This record gives sequence, C-alpha cells and structure tokens, in this order.
Amino acid sequence: MIRRDFSAAQREAKDFPEPIVVCFDVHKWYGNFHALRGVTTLVSRGEKVVVVGPSGSGKSTFIRTINRLEEHQRGDIIVDGVQLTNDTRNIDRIRRDVGMVFQQFNLFPHLSVMQNITLAPIKVLKTRRDVAEDTAMELLTRVGIPEQAEKYPGELSGGQQQRVAIARALAMRPQIMLFDEPTSALDPEMIREVLDVMRELAESGMTMIIVSHEIGFASEVADRVIMFDEGEIVEDAPPGEFFNNPKHPRAQAFLSQILS
Amino acid sequence: MVAVFPQTSSGERLPPPRTEVGALGWVRQNLFNSKFNAILTVISAAVIVLALVYGLRWIISGADWTVIGVLGGQMVIGQYNTEAACPGQNCFWRPQVSLLLVSAMLGIAWAMAGGGVARRLAIGVVIIIALFALLPYSFERMGMDVRLLLVANIPAMLAGWAVAHYTRMTGRGIAIYGVAAFVITLILLRGIPGVPGLQPVLVIYWGGITLNILLAVVGISLSLPIGIALALGRRSNLPVVKLLCVVFIEVFRGVPLITLLFMSQVLVPLAFPEDFNTNSLFRAGIIITLFSSAYMAENIRGGLQALHPGQAEAARALGLAGWQTTMLISLPQAIRSVIPAIVGQFIALFKDTSLVYIIGMLDVVEISRAFIQGNAQYLGNAKELFIFLALVFWVFTYTMSYVSQKVEEHLGVGVR
Repeated sequence: MIRRDFSAAQREAKDFPEPIVVCFDVHKWYGNFHALRGVTTLVSRGEKVVVVGPSGSGKSTFIRTINRLEEHQRGDIIVDGVQLTNDTRNIDRIRRDVGMVFQQFNLFPHLSVMQNITLAPIKVLKTRRDVAEDTAMELLTRVGIPEQAEKYPGELSGGQQQRVAIARALAMRPQIMLFDEPTSALDPEMIREVLDVMRELAESGMTMIIVSHEIGFASEVADRVIMFDEGEIVEDAPPGEFFNNPKHPRAQAFLSQILS
Repeated sequence: MVAVFPQTSSGERLPPPRTEVGALGWVRQNLFNSKFNAILTVISAAVIVLALVYGLRWIISGADWTVIGVLGGQMVIGQYNTEAACPGQNCFWRPQVSLLLVSAMLGIAWAMAGGGVARRLAIGVVIIIALFALLPYSFERMGMDVRLLLVANIPAMLAGWAVAHYTRMTGRGIAIYGVAAFVITLILLRGIPGVPGLQPVLVIYWGGITLNILLAVVGISLSLPIGIALALGRRSNLPVVKLLCVVFIEVFRGVPLITLLFMSQVLVPLAFPEDFNTNSLFRAGIIITLFSSAYMAENIRGGLQALHPGQAEAARALGLAGWQTTMLISLPQAIRSVIPAIVGQFIALFKDTSLVYIIGMLDVVEISRAFIQGNAQYLGNAKELFIFLALVFWVFTYTMSYVSQKVEEHLGVGVR
C-alpha cells in the first residue's frame, strides 16, 4: 500500500519535477580568476545529472559550491529549500543532507572502515553506537564489502576504499549525493565495481550530481548531461542528444577529443 | 631462418651465488662493496678495537667507582634527607612512598595496554628499583625500612595492575590517578605543617634525580596540551588569537632557556602571589613548561600542515563541526605523524632540567659537581661520576625513545 503510494509520488515527481537544487547566476572568483561565471541550473528530486568538461572548466568548483566546500560570491544556491548563506546553521543543515564522494576517497586513515562510516552519524546525528553500526553493516553489504568492516583504509584496494567512501556518505541518509570524479584515481579493473554501486544507487531513486568522464555510464544512468567550459554551462541536454548531436561548437570539440 | 642459441639455464630456479648470501655475502655487500668502503671498514674497525681495549681496561682496573657509593642517596633526592632540611627525623620514606605511586601507575598502564611494551616497562622498572635494596651499604647508611620500601615497589605495581584489571579502568581513570598521584607526591615531599612525621621540607632542599624527574613530568604533561593549543591558535582565522600565539612562540623559542630561568626570578613574582615567590621549583616548572610548549607548538603545526586538505573537507562534508573536525580528524593524524619530533622534544626537556642549577637548585648534575668541588679527595674521580651520570640520563632518555618506537609501531596499523 505504502509502496504503491510511493511509486505514484515518484511518477508524479517525474511529471512535475520538484527542484531540490536551485542555482541562479552563481559567480565564484579565486583571487582574480573568475572560476564560475553566472551558472544557472535546476536539479529535480530523483534526477541524475552528469557534469562533464575540460579540466579547469569549473565543474568541480561547481559541485563543491553546493555543499559550501567552496564559497560563491554572487548569486543564489538553494538546496532542499534552504538558501546557502554565511549562516553556519544553514551550512551544517545542508551538509547533513548532501553526501559527497571525492576523487581521492579521503577516508580517515586512522579510523577503521566501521569507524569511518559510524563517526558522523554518532557525532552529528547523535545516533546510538549499536544502531549506527547496524546501519553501517547494512551499507557495507550494499556496497559489497561487509567482510572489510574492521580493516583500516590503508589495507583496502582503491575500488574498495571508494565503496567505503560511498557507504560513509550514505550513512548520513542524504537527500542528494555529489560525486567529484569518483573513478578518476582508480585502476581500470576497479572502475567497474564502483560504477556498479553508483548504478544501484541511481536505481534506488537517489538524486545524484556526478562529475565524470565515464561516457558509457553517463549515457546509461544520466537524465541530463551538463557541459562546463571556462566557468559557464555551454550545453545542457539528455545524454542521447548530448553525445550524438551536441549543439555548441565547444561541446562538439570536447566530445571529439574524449571519444577519439 | 631462425637463429638457434645454445641451451641456457633460463627457466630453472637456481640458488643465488654463494658470495651473495649468508655471512660472507653480508660482509661483502655491506663492508667491502667498494675500495673506499673497504678502507673505511678497516680504519673504523681499528678505532673501535682500540677504544674497547683502552676503555675496558680503564673501566675494569683503572676506574674507582666508590665515589658513586659515597654520594649515594644524594644523587636520588639531593639534600632532602639532611639534618638541615629535615631536622631530627628520617624523611627518606616520603619520596619512597611517592615512588610506590609511580610503580602502581606503571601497573595500571600495563593492565590497560594489556601487555606489550607497557608490561615490559612495568616489570623492568620495578625489578631494577627492587635490586637497589641489595646495595652493599651498611645498615647505618641504608636501613631496613629503606630496603623494604624499595622491594615494596613490586607488590605496588602488581596492586595497580590488579585494581585496573578488575575494575576495568578507563583512560579517564588513569588520567585521574596520574593527577592524584602527582598531587599526593607534592604534598608528601613538601609536608604539612603540624602533622607529625610530615614536617615541611623547604623546596630549596629538593634535588637529585627526583628534581629532574619532577620537572620533566610537569613539563611533559603540560607542554603537550599547551603546545596543541598554541599550534591551533597559530592557524586560527582570528587575527588577535593568531598574533598572540605567534608572539608567544617566537619569544619563547628565541630566548635561551638559561636566560628565561634567570628572568623567572624577576618576572614570575610579578605575576603570582607572594607564596610562590620563594618557590624556585614552581618558577622553574613554569619556565621549562612554557619554553617546551613553544617548540611543541611548532612540531604539531608541522603535523597539521602535512595533513591532506581532503581530510578536513571530507569531515566537513559529512556535517562535522569545525571543532569536531579538529579534535577527531586533524589532530589525531597530525600528532601521530610527528611523534618522533614530540618525543625528541620530551627528551630535550628532560636533559634541560639540569639547567635549573642556574637558579640555585641542586639537580643530579649540580649536586655531583658540588660534591666533587667540596671534597678534594674525590677530585680525581670526577670522570667516573660524570660517566655514571651520562649513563643515568641515557637510561631515562633511551627508555622514552624505546617506548615511543613501540607506540608508533602500535599506532601504525593501517597507516600507509
């Protein structure tokens, strides 16, 4: 009964997308360098957006402004109904709602896998330790490595570490997941295991914003592909259209480079 | 046309050549692997043999070690138990009881660590202390009570172990015990006016290795937290806090400890009430702590700077507050990575405690020097005495170094 209502709501969300991330005319400078130049976009609940672009184009900076790891200097960012300002309470609330996975994993090397995953739920959400550990075991099972719970990050392969990082972000029960080039630091045979986990996460209905150059993954999972160049969005289209028939000349040039 | 080579031994698993393995291989690879190294090896070997021959000959037949026995208890406790300090009484039991508290603490540490280096340290230390009971002194110089209290360190250590083991003592427990033991030690040594057997002993009579250890314990246990606070302050975004920390660090690092100790006689009385003015131990403790904190702050700042910024980012992205990120993520990793530098600072601090002779305190070095100067018949034995002192300092500092190596190994789990 509840399940059916939920899927009905999901179908409704597809028809009338409820925006969960709103960016309007966002600007960001590093010193004199204009890194984001008026970025405006919407991400709806449940949507999967893949962000591509040449290096230095501002795509990482963009997703890092969404949970305020980078401060924007002009424009508005509204995440789950909360506007990002200098108010630290708002920032803390948004960070709880937004999970992030980094290119270099950034697991805490002095803590075990289990401690990595349970730290934030215990310290931020004040979850009881045993409850947090149960949740962590469920998440580790979900990403396929329950047997690694007591190991330290340094003892795991890159692919396993990135899966722990995903589990760690999911332990906070986020509304949105940000992925900043999650497979760029991995050996080819480990990329697949991480993408499989992300694919499963996408199927579960999670809102995801992913900076990635995995074209196959993007065309399979993404609802939209956004291309950044020199701090601007130059192309924003469904993956079929984006990869087969890009409109902007810079998108055409970029695609011919990465596809060749 | 295919070239045909004669059959080689490729593919077979062969043992390495005889010159590459075993003792012969080791010597060849490490001592005689080039002409230059061969010459160095021969010269070094000659120097070592000569030093050993002459050194051992002097130690066995030439040296006269009686001076150490004559000085005896003064090396341990200075003039504490002299007639001037403690008239009409035997006060030696007071530092001895303090030592029992230390032994109990070692037992507690063993129980909490569950073995390893803590066990070796606890057992080793109490056995060495107990062995002092067998010193061939006459009963006049070292009574039965002194010997029994020395042996009592073994049961004291075991009692500490048992209590901690069966009450499942926590980290907080041992910290509380440590502070309590230190306060009891100070009260015991200082005495309480009007209490029989605990008549006050002026701080100027405290001395010997006990003084060095007391100052080192104060310095080590306070300079680490103060240093951490200064390091965080120096990286703070608040300009006033940052400026204060920078000024403090640069001033205390830029002035020699001896100068600071001299200045303490003038400056500390300005900041603290009358009672502390005459207390040179208090002054020395403050100055050594602050001096060491400045160095400690820079060590820890180095560790914080070496940390990958992604660590703090990941913590913040998970919703941890700034102070939680510092306490749970940054500091533990930073401190781990600079343990060698921190322990180096502890060792330097311990050796620097002998500089308190500058403000008239008789630490173990100064009391030995004063003894030689005041007793002309031992003037020729200064060599033996100072070699012995060097050995004493080395035993303490090497223990610190050894424990820190074991702690590092223990913490190394999972760290690249």
